[in-house]
Amino acid sequence: MTFLEYLQSRRTLLLAQTLEHATIVLTAVAIATVVGVLIGVATYRHRRGRAIAVAVAAAILTIPSFALLGLLIPPLGLGYVPPLIALTLYAVLPILRNTVVGLTEIDPALREAARGIGMGPLRRLATVEIPLAWPVILAGIRVSTQMTMGIAAIAAYVGGPGLGHQIFSGLANLGGVNSLNQALVGTLGVVILALAVDLCLALLGVLTRPGRGARSAARNPRSAPPAGAAATAGTAH
Amino acid sequence: MSDDVMISLDHVSKRYRGQKVPAVENVSMTIHRGEIVVLVGPSGCGKTTTMKMINRLIEPSSGRITLDGADVTSLNPTELRRRIGYVIQQGGLFPHMSVATNIGMVPRMLGWDRRRIDARVDELLDLVGLEPGQFRNRLPQQLSGGQQQRVGVARALAADPPVMLMDEPFGATDPLTREHLQNEFLRLQEKLQKTIVFVTHDFDEAIKMGSRIAVLGERSRIRQFDTPERLLAAPADETVAQFIGAGASLKQLNLRRVGSIAYDEAHLVTSQESPAAVLRHLDESGDWAVLTVDGERRPLRWVGPRDLRPERDTLDGVGIPAPTVEPRATLRDALDAMLTCGCGAAVVVDDAGRYRGVLGIDRLMRAITEMRETERSRDRGVAEASYYRPPMPRTLAAPAQRGGAR
Ligand SMILES: Nc1ncnc2c1ncn2[C@@H]1O[C@H](COP(=O)(O)OP(=O)(O)OP(=O)(O)O)[C@@H](O)[C@H]1O
Ligand SMILES: [Mg+2]
Repeated sequence: MTFLEYLQSRRTLLLAQTLEHATIVLTAVAIATVVGVLIGVATYRHRRGRAIAVAVAAAILTIPSFALLGLLIPPLGLGYVPPLIALTLYAVLPILRNTVVGLTEIDPALREAARGIGMGPLRRLATVEIPLAWPVILAGIRVSTQMTMGIAAIAAYVGGPGLGHQIFSGLANLGGVNSLNQALVGTLGVVILALAVDLCLALLGVLTRPGRGARSAARNPRSAPPAGAAATAGTAH
Repeated sequence: MSDDVMISLDHVSKRYRGQKVPAVENVSMTIHRGEIVVLVGPSGCGKTTTMKMINRLIEPSSGRITLDGADVTSLNPTELRRRIGYVIQQGGLFPHMSVATNIGMVPRMLGWDRRRIDARVDELLDLVGLEPGQFRNRLPQQLSGGQQQRVGVARALAADPPVMLMDEPFGATDPLTREHLQNEFLRLQEKLQKTIVFVTHDFDEAIKMGSRIAVLGERSRIRQFDTPERLLAAPADETVAQFIGAGASLKQLNLRRVGSIAYDEAHLVTSQESPAAVLRHLDESGDWAVLTVDGERRPLRWVGPRDLRPERDTLDGVGIPAPTVEPRATLRDALDAMLTCGCGAAVVVDDAGRYRGVLGIDRLMRAITEMRETERSRDRGVAEASYYRPPMPRTLAAPAQRGGAR
């Protein structure tokens, strides 16, 4: 079978696996965004706190993915949950680090202006700090998404979902019928999916650029999307 | 204390954590309702620190600050700050929000409904001289520095707070824009009668803006707290005199406004007038020049006999551009205007830029002479030459007491 014939014959399966792959990655990134932003917000003011948070997240990222997936099997069993947790853990670091950077880079004069006109800490965070840090946070989300796309392929090894199945069964019987097609379609699928999702996130970045909503916000400030909603909007794609 | 005290600082000190010397040490002053008190002093002397303690952006290490009779530490800080307008250098506008959202921030926090906020935003934009339809929906980065500062002032005024704190609000603009903003702000203040604490390190600005000026030294120590007139006439000590700098008598020009002296009249003509008729008028009247104005009576150019070409039909583009000043400008501004055009006269215009009269250099000289004479008779006994040198006994007066006096 040629590559294209293979694609034709396995169309339904491949589509389903692509969708699974995208779902687990985006779910993991969404959870990691919430966790990373929350930890970033909680620690960015304290030098010690944010150093520890970033160091822990970085340490997690150095654990080889095979090892982490394997270690999660005894307590959690095979299936969907261990890869989801592993992917989430990996995805936290870029988002956390960018949240901290984005928040600390805000002009102190602006933070003080916010305080000076009588904004409380939560309001400051929601209306000034997160919106201003958002482009940097989103850049972190994009890095996390790209990174976990690749790692998610390995999830198939522990019974997880996604395009990894194509790659693993291809590599397992190398030389056999279709083995090369399988490995190729799995790999290409991951790359194309990654590019497509990144494109969506880039678009999201344009749509949520700070100040973009100014025209409508000028009339109705409450209609501006709250940062939380924007952060999880990625899963909607 | 009398009820017209709005803000009082009572032996206030601030020592930042990890610093050996306090940034502000034992400062006491009272600020009355409706006055502009200017804090002026060298960089790093603690002006900003002193000001920020009033709205509790910085907590004093010791001492007491009251606002309208209430100890500020007994008030909720965010609520306190919503009652105090706050303007910082370069406006401090939120870059991701439109001009309207920036201005409407405090009213929104106070729970005003949307229609009222929108109306208030437009009203304030008008007040600070920005056309609402044009500026409402812009982002701060789409404004010039001077426009940003106006929006900053509008934001601080939004909920009509009785007190304003302004930290070098016109700091980052060119001298011309700054002068314009100052005049505009003084015009506003005539209407609004806010109690204002104004920080600057520009002494000329202090003289122009202040009802009273506190000259601060190291650790915010008050060296002298007095009206601009008294400060120029009798600096409390050598340091204050140095700070006032050379040319104290020239600086007195900052004390009088153009509006306070009589104007002359110029002969007004439109640009369509024929050069021959103008020449005839100049011959008959002995005037040195006529002033061309547009249809709205806004001054254009001075036209003298030597500018006239009898062979031409109109005065279009003839003569030298006429410098203008507002009645709120100081005599110093007027002198500047005369010197730049080299014509010895500035045209006084109203808010809409329409002709009101002419201020000639001779009138200016007469006003200066008058000012010196009043000054001299008030300070009889103080030799004229001792403008910079303090009358000895006065240096010993405690600044705090001095500050208490109106
Ligand atoms: N957050 C801070 N921590 C430690 N020291 C500070 C802090 N803020 C100001 N200082 C110090 O306190 C002193 C007074 O500072 P402040 O900002 O009040 O001066 P200023 O008179 O406003 O000066 P400028 O005209 O330059 O704005 C300075 O010596 C400054 O270094
Ligand atoms: Mg300062």
